[in-house]
Amino acid sequence: MTRKEYLVKQKEMGRHLLGVFPAQYPKEILWAMNIVPAEIWDPPLEITLANAHLQPTICSVVKLGMELILQRKCDILDGFLFPHTCDSIQNLASVINDYMKTEKPCYFFYHPKAPYGAAGRDFYRNHLKELIGSLEKQFGPLDPDTLKQRIHQGQKISALLTELYDLRAQGELNITNEEFYSMIRHGEYLFPDDFIPELEAFLSQNKGQGIKGQARVVLSGVLPNPPEILTLLDDLGVRVAHDDFLIGSRRLLVPANDLDDPFENLTESYFAMPPCSTKGSSIGERAEYLFRLVDATGAKGVIFNVVKFCEPEWFDIPNLKEELKKKGISTLSLDTELNQGLSGQMVTRVEAFVEMIG
Amino acid sequence: MTYFAGIDVGSLTTEVVILDKDDRMVSYAISATGANVTEAVEHTLGQALSRAGLARDRLNFIVATGYGRITIPFADKKITEISCHAMGAHHLFPDTETVIDIGGQDSKVIRIDGEGKVIDFAMNDKCAAGTGRFLEVMAGTFQVPIDDFGALSLKSKREIPISSICTVFAESEVISLIARNEPAEDIIRGLHRSVVSRVWGMVQTVGVPGPVTMSGGVAKNPGVVILLEEHLKKPIHIHTEPQIIGALGAALFAKKHFLRD
Repeated sequence: MTRKEYLVKQKEMGRHLLGVFPAQYPKEILWAMNIVPAEIWDPPLEITLANAHLQPTICSVVKLGMELILQRKCDILDGFLFPHTCDSIQNLASVINDYMKTEKPCYFFYHPKAPYGAAGRDFYRNHLKELIGSLEKQFGPLDPDTLKQRIHQGQKISALLTELYDLRAQGELNITNEEFYSMIRHGEYLFPDDFIPELEAFLSQNKGQGIKGQARVVLSGVLPNPPEILTLLDDLGVRVAHDDFLIGSRRLLVPANDLDDPFENLTESYFAMPPCSTKGSSIGERAEYLFRLVDATGAKGVIFNVVKFCEPEWFDIPNLKEELKKKGISTLSLDTELNQGLSGQMVTRVEAFVEMIG
Repeated sequence: MTYFAGIDVGSLTTEVVILDKDDRMVSYAISATGANVTEAVEHTLGQALSRAGLARDRLNFIVATGYGRITIPFADKKITEISCHAMGAHHLFPDTETVIDIGGQDSKVIRIDGEGKVIDFAMNDKCAAGTGRFLEVMAGTFQVPIDDFGALSLKSKREIPISSICTVFAESEVISLIARNEPAEDIIRGLHRSVVSRVWGMVQTVGVPGPVTMSGGVAKNPGVVILLEEHLKKPIHIHTEPQIIGALGAALFAKKHFLRD
């Protein structure tokens, strides 16, 4: 079933659909209100209309999101949620809500930026309640017991994803790089009742010895696009041993906690997430996280595969590369468009990097 | 006697180098790539074989490199031009720590170790700024042969900065400057400066270089070389045929792989 078919079916089942822009938001709250978050990262569209509203130096995540709306491909949705991920997404929210006057309700989610303190935790906890208050006006009251159940499901998903990542890191997952991310990304629209059994089945079917002797790398960036980067690495016999993707480990591998209060629980989860450029994490924290991924997997290098014009990511990269180089870890940076494939020159860069670490 | 060939198919030119088992360059050939890569490869390889007095079946191993490497079906192995330029430069100038290759389609800065192995590199993005193509387009605007373009820049007495880094916009800017009767050599010097500024940015990303070797066709352009040497504050190693360094590296890899296999 395609993503679109799935969302149509969910609507027919009586669930609400919310288009969610990247990247971090309390999806458990949406699930508990019978809302399916349909994340908007890289819709396969040609950008034509959005260029009239946005300058050329805006990243393609933002442009494609706007294009999706302008091409009226969001009619099935009941509204949008804009987390405060970066200036571009924040301003996109303003353009959509304030200037274009979309008929869909727009919600906003502001998460605290590092360095964190007690005030940040209070803010986050209160903001979760404010978000619920806003959503309840459209979608009806939130049942606290249902929220607890959805938090439990969120923890189950994190545990399964952690197992999947661990198996891959240990070379005990018999799948390609492309298959791994295809599976992970189903979580961008599947309701937990469907995603959990799918993950469990995927794990049981694919646990097994990976191909030995492959060069291993860690990928960092926003998301593994264009998809050709994964197939190229597969073709070159390179295993992605771990990732530092915003779409991946930075928000998926959340350590479990057993706090009974749902707001305490969600707050703890947010602050326990790995460091991220969009949360203002320091270079030191981010570098330390990359060191850990490299050490744990025996990776020979880090590829920064970053969306062109993604300011939070690109501002960090020179310093991260410097820190990695000090430890003798090879790096490569690629500035890519989401859906435009890999140019011959990009392929050469990746091949040369593989020759270098081989 | 065993022989090895390296074939470097670039966007503007195709080069072939034939080596013997003692790493002696038996022959080389350079020709325009044009619109048909297969024809260019056949023609250039044929020339190199003819100059060496060899039949093709005397080649024991062939390595293809350059952007057109994927289109050479008879190559025994394909290796990127980044690795090949590194190996070729190291072979010619063993003290090389950094290779600056400004080719027709792209430019790259490569840090290498004491054995010619790549340890880091930077490559320009998709646009033509900072490449040989940029200079070629601009030489066309001035109706000056590309081979004379660099020498003309050296006659400048008052360099005119070019603000646009995009080839298309830079050309518009140049046309405006020509219309204002600004001296051609001053504008051309500014154009060379813009290429060097782009390349120097890449040099910074791979770290402060030790001895530098330049490869690629633009190494024959004295305007670019002098400006780069100003930045580096030292002379650059330049072979008499800097265009063949990639093909030479490919031929060296061919020997290495033949012996290993």
